Amino acid sequence: MSRKLEERMMIAGKLEMRIAIAAALALASALVHAQRPLFEDGPRSAAKPAVVFLYPEQVTVPATKPTTIALHFRIAPGLHINSHTPSQDELIPTTLSIPAGSGVRLDGVVYPPGMDFTLPLDPNTKLSVYSGEFTVQARIVAVPGNHLVEARLRYQACDNNACMPPKTITAAIEVIGK
Amino acid sequence: MKRNTLVITTVLFILAAFAWAGWANWEYRRQAAERLQATATQGELVLDASGVPQYLSPLQGKPAPPFTLEDLSGNKVSLASFKGHALAINFWATWCAPCKIETPWLIDLRNQYAAQGFEVLAVSADDIDRNDPKKFSDEKQEIARFVQRMKMPYPVLIDADSISKSYDGLDALPTSYFVDRNGTVVAVQLGMTTKEELEKNIKKALGIVK
Repeated sequence: MSRKLEERMMIAGKLEMRIAIAAALALASALVHAQRPLFEDGPRSAAKPAVVFLYPEQVTVPATKPTTIALHFRIAPGLHINSHTPSQDELIPTTLSIPAGSGVRLDGVVYPPGMDFTLPLDPNTKLSVYSGEFTVQARIVAVPGNHLVEARLRYQACDNNACMPPKTITAAIEVIGK
Repeated sequence: MKRNTLVITTVLFILAAFAWAGWANWEYRRQAAERLQATATQGELVLDASGVPQYLSPLQGKPAPPFTLEDLSGNKVSLASFKGHALAINFWATWCAPCKIETPWLIDLRNQYAAQGFEVLAVSADDIDRNDPKKFSDEKQEIARFVQRMKMPYPVLIDADSISKSYDGLDALPTSYFVDRNGTVVAVQLGMTTKEELEKNIKKALGIVK
């Protein structure tokens, strides 16, 4: 093999080694990051909401005509909320409302069907729940103009071991009646 | 050269596998913490020996905050009247499915340890509306029906909301405070666990175990 070719191969080998070392260091730093404590910032202050409103932030609808809009929500992982038609009377259903005086009236709501769910320690009791993301179809009637509507979603969330008190969150939507 | 490449590739593969395992473990712990964060507010999250987040109440080791609440017949019942008893102050609600699972365990354990001076005070967190007498009466009847169905033999009090601030905010049910005969909170259980865990905490309250 010529001397030049040998030198080139040595340089390539050293370069290869340097790239490998850099990659190993990057992976090692990822390992360190993954092992850091979850609570190094100290005790937590406020609880995150179990359900959040995702979208839409703004809709345009024909004024004075009933129009259906889809409201999208997300439930925190590991939690579920009762559907609009829970399996037992004492359970609190998920409901949507719009306060009076906003210029937008709620004409009707179609809720998604609930999913059958049982707690691991009570397999004989079937619950009807939502989990993950879900969509509520709200039929609204808006007077002409721009309206900031604060729709309200009332729900009651649980995980497999505990339940949170019923809560109401606001879904703020700008409704433009044209 | 080829051998070098093979060694380097193998080492990188092993490191990548470790990195993935580390990420997966962190992601699992983050989701567990997120779930717990969604249910707990005023307590601290601390890691137990296995690195899993656990709830530590600010009331642990402190005197149980005093209260006087009504039972379903309208009689006033105070915590002070149970001085000298070991207690489980159990916060629950009719809409709480895990509470329905836990209640039969509490009943069994209360009956087992009652002779040793143990009692359960069940405090309902169901909403009540004192401003509307008819609604208030209906709400109490609904709680009473539930109590009868579950055959709770111990005192049942209403209006947990009125004392929630002194008891960590009560943002998750069931929550139980185990109180020893001196009135000190020796254990707090957030959420349903197991009958064995309940019994362990009852024994702590009775002073049988530490």
